[in-house]
Amino acid sequence: MTRPVLEIDALDIFAPTAGDPRQLVFASTLDVGRGEAVGLVGESGSGKTLTVRAVAGLLPEGFTTVGGIRIDGRDVGDMPARELRDLRARRLGMVFQTPRAHLNPLRTIGDFMTEALVHVAGTKPAAANRRALDLLDEVGISDPGRRLRQYPAELSGGLLQRVMIAATLAMDPDILLADEITTALDVTTQEEVMAVIADLRTHRELSMLFITHDLALAGAVCDRVNVMQHGRIVETLRAKTMRENAREEYTKTLMAASLDEAPPMRAAGDEGEPMLRIERLRKSYRVRRAGRGKETLVAVDDVSLQLRRGGSLGIVGESGSGKTTAARIVVGLERADSGVVAVGGKDWSTPARGGRERRRRAKIAQMVFQDPYQSLDRRQTVRQCLTEAIRVHRPRETRAELDRRIGELMGHVRLEEALLDQRPRALSGGQRQRVAIARALAADPVLLVLDEAVSALDVTTQVEILTLLDDIRRSTGVALLMITHDLTVIRRLCDHVIVMRQGRVEEHGTATDILDAPQAEYTRLLLDSIPRAGWTPRRRRLGRTSSLATVTRSTQTQNGR
Amino acid sequence: MSVVQIANGAVPAVARRAAKRDWVFRIALIVFGVIAVLAAIGPWIAPYDPTELYVGPVNGASSLAHPLGTDDVGRDILSRVLVGAGASVFAPIGVVLLSTLAGVALALAAAWFGGWVSGGIARLIDVIFAIPGIVIAVLAVAVFGKGLLAPVVALSIAYIPVVARLVRTAASRELGKPYTAALRVQGVSSPAICFRHLVPALVPVVAAQTAIGFGYAMLDLSAISYLGLGQQPPAPDWGSMIAAGQAGLLSGAFEQSVYPAILVVVTVLAVGVIGARVTTWAEEKER
Amino acid sequence: MNAMTRMLLERLGGLLLTLFLASIVIYSAVLLTGDPIAALAGGAKPTPELIDQIRLEYHLDDPVWARYWDWLTSAFQGDFGRSFVYKTDVMTLVAPRFVITLQLVMVTVLLILVFGVGSGVVAAMRGGAVDRTVGVLTSLGMALPTFVVAILLIWIFAKTLGWFPVYGEGDAGWDRLWHLVLPAVSLAVLFVAYISRVTRGSLVAQLQSEHVDTARVRGIPRSRIFGVHVFRNASPQILAITGTTIAGLFAASAIAEVAFGLGGIGSLLVQAAARADLPVVQIVSLLLVTIFVVLNAAADLWSALIDPTSVGGRSAA
Repeated sequence: MTRPVLEIDALDIFAPTAGDPRQLVFASTLDVGRGEAVGLVGESGSGKTLTVRAVAGLLPEGFTTVGGIRIDGRDVGDMPARELRDLRARRLGMVFQTPRAHLNPLRTIGDFMTEALVHVAGTKPAAANRRALDLLDEVGISDPGRRLRQYPAELSGGLLQRVMIAATLAMDPDILLADEITTALDVTTQEEVMAVIADLRTHRELSMLFITHDLALAGAVCDRVNVMQHGRIVETLRAKTMRENAREEYTKTLMAASLDEAPPMRAAGDEGEPMLRIERLRKSYRVRRAGRGKETLVAVDDVSLQLRRGGSLGIVGESGSGKTTAARIVVGLERADSGVVAVGGKDWSTPARGGRERRRRAKIAQMVFQDPYQSLDRRQTVRQCLTEAIRVHRPRETRAELDRRIGELMGHVRLEEALLDQRPRALSGGQRQRVAIARALAADPVLLVLDEAVSALDVTTQVEILTLLDDIRRSTGVALLMITHDLTVIRRLCDHVIVMRQGRVEEHGTATDILDAPQAEYTRLLLDSIPRAGWTPRRRRLGRTSSLATVTRSTQTQNGR
Repeated sequence: MSVVQIANGAVPAVARRAAKRDWVFRIALIVFGVIAVLAAIGPWIAPYDPTELYVGPVNGASSLAHPLGTDDVGRDILSRVLVGAGASVFAPIGVVLLSTLAGVALALAAAWFGGWVSGGIARLIDVIFAIPGIVIAVLAVAVFGKGLLAPVVALSIAYIPVVARLVRTAASRELGKPYTAALRVQGVSSPAICFRHLVPALVPVVAAQTAIGFGYAMLDLSAISYLGLGQQPPAPDWGSMIAAGQAGLLSGAFEQSVYPAILVVVTVLAVGVIGARVTTWAEEKER
Repeated sequence: MNAMTRMLLERLGGLLLTLFLASIVIYSAVLLTGDPIAALAGGAKPTPELIDQIRLEYHLDDPVWARYWDWLTSAFQGDFGRSFVYKTDVMTLVAPRFVITLQLVMVTVLLILVFGVGSGVVAAMRGGAVDRTVGVLTSLGMALPTFVVAILLIWIFAKTLGWFPVYGEGDAGWDRLWHLVLPAVSLAVLFVAYISRVTRGSLVAQLQSEHVDTARVRGIPRSRIFGVHVFRNASPQILAITGTTIAGLFAASAIAEVAFGLGGIGSLLVQAAARADLPVVQIVSLLLVTIFVVLNAAADLWSALIDPTSVGGRSAA
């Protein structure tokens, strides 16, 4: 038996504070054998990223470690700095979550690909260039010669991530440290990137330490999986048998959250007049393409949909599909170029003019936003926030009645009343999103628009919030319009689904039909890209290769807010 | 943001690192407090009439009767420094208040209305920015005549671009956050969003800018009066005292120039440290 | 028309509009001073004939906009009017003085680049005690206005040590440079401190950026990380702010000129303002505004050009 490529032995990590250092990682121990892929899975704040950064020598300034890290059997603790730098440069390759931030925006892809070869390994530039071309080809990037001359801003996230991977391969590393490398990517792009990595690992003897929050993904691409919680590795499992062998309650929760195979919700009967009706909606923007001047981008193109009172409709699509724009038009945050939006028989095609009309619409439709950290005013306590939301519609409410209503809302979203005088900063992500939901419910709306309302949350919190939303729909009869990129969310919450791609509707129908018997090829692709038991990533098609355009302004300027 | 001394532009906080150490901040507070109190009560505690000639020898050195010596026409330097502190310390407050009010109003109007209002305001600010502070001061003297009013008005105008651009950026950032969209969807009225949410959000930024601006206003005002465009003789003022004492410097009489110069530097340093602390506080508020 | 040309034309148009509006501001501010006749008559009580003559000579009876237009078009044709005080052509007053200001600014720029940018780079690269020392020194420097440094320099180097001259601009050549040392140092101190902080701040922001993490983990040598990834990426920002600072020096030099008795345009402006010499005030103001706007635009443009991802840089590359 050869030595493991990487051994982490009882590693403690401490953060500097004003007083004593605070311990963030406790006796973390794991090893990665030659050619093996090992997962490190945990939610935000579990210490998984700190652990891998300690290996790479990228801990923030002032952080200290106790314990051993051995690369190829050599302890990094007692190695001269220069030798250590060389060891890391040649043996480790690291890929990060946000490739765009991790590439120098002022250097071409070619500079990036050849830099380590030329300046660390001493290869001649011409040879390094040839090698770069081969490597880009190896990770499945078309037209590599042109890519070498492009700047990072011109490429899509998925493509940049493959460039990062290709660049790390230049030095023929023994182990790839992959830190949430697909988290920022669309699910189909995730599959592409994982397929590239799987290919590489069969052709080279490449080990991998794979950091992710997605247990199903780790299970599908790794040999072994370590589950980390609150700075400790709580369980290590063989990936193939993890479903049967998991003992820790936490591991089981993670599994239930991400491996949900429950049948989709049955659609409620088709009776009843639709309360939201959208017909032939269109919205375009003037956009700035990287280095290529301005052009018009059609964000929403000929979209029609209906939502019944008390129903639950999901709009699913990847980034750039126009799903969020459609939702924002419904609540009057954007102005459509053309098309009809009708709510409860009234025409809402243009945003409300004047305060009274806005308040009238606010009583009917409310919205919950993606980012619970930014959608609450950080200066307001929970009580002030809810009071404001109630007072919009009932300005002369008595204090007692107000308190009763606030209590009721807190009950709806199952939050302790003790939290009423806290500011958002003191709340967890899940708690903040509950406050945002309570705020939306304050108006007693008949339509609740949820724009990626759970995607910023940890998986266990996602499950809680989705269950809560479903309960609220059943008890209050509010209709839900759920915007999401995640089909698992649809499965848990929606009875009808619309699949969008590049501004157009690809397919629509009941959740049962779409999830169990998809007709459109794109829907099947989306479904097949979701990691699950027995899933192996495959290269299906080339994803978007140029970066998403930057919106400079709406084609129809909105006057008078 | 000093516009006479430094070409206008956002200045990184002064003495940022020093402000992290509490004792430096405390000393700065004490120093500034003492100077402000002396400035306020200066006219009452000055031992001599600051404008009375020949109360002592010409260019006299420090003595018991005249602790800081006497100037080129025999006036008591201590008395002149004490009385002159008023104009030197309190006039910058006027500059900071006027420029902050105007800058915030313009920035809010631009951020709120957008469109041609924003374009017009941006153009106006560009024009003000294009005219160097000294030129504005000279033009203000032409309009208002010599005295304290002209430089205060001039600097208030000259500081508007810095304040307006800073606040405009902060306001746009704030309006771009989802919570303002959430408020609009809730049906909260536009004035309520502006005054209950946007304005309070800008307070830390404006406070930090005000504190830093105060130091620069002081520097610039004393520079203008050094050039003879501010407070007119015989009224005492630190800047003009330094200018008047320069001739004596060559014959060895340093008192008339050097004491007010030290006071300018010490006050500006203290204000700089305080401003850095306010900036750090504002940045913490942002998180 | 490609993106580069369009950007250049847009900037040029904005620049001309700003200059035009600023010229109106300057002209109208000077008009508000009231009757220039007292100044023109040179203090003596003017006789009615003299008043008529002055009114005719300076076109004081024309409407305001006509006088403004006349002034602007004349200035474009190189006729800048006549000084009320010196009774000579403004151009002959301004030209030699402008040379002296230009020389002062050039020496100052040299000091700012060497010591300001230099100390900022050293502070960011070395960190630790060096960084702290530079930090304390620049804090002090930013509280040292030009006139305070000037009197300290006069006191120490001119009076006590007698190393440098204290007054006037001397003769052209080495003597001129000798005379400009103290004024340039006094003018530079504040800006050296300021640019040092700007440089350090931009560099540290780049040092902490994620793409530098990537370079580190790839084992790229330290010197290359600093040169290619840190300094190169920070340079557009450093350049833009340094450019604005240099553009402002032409006006800020007034203080150093007055303190050391240099006959530059700054001291001319201050004297003209004190004597209500309106044509001189107008022209020097306009000159200073033009210099500031043009240099500022040039610095902006340059920093856009060295950024390959910006519009101008892309098509230039």
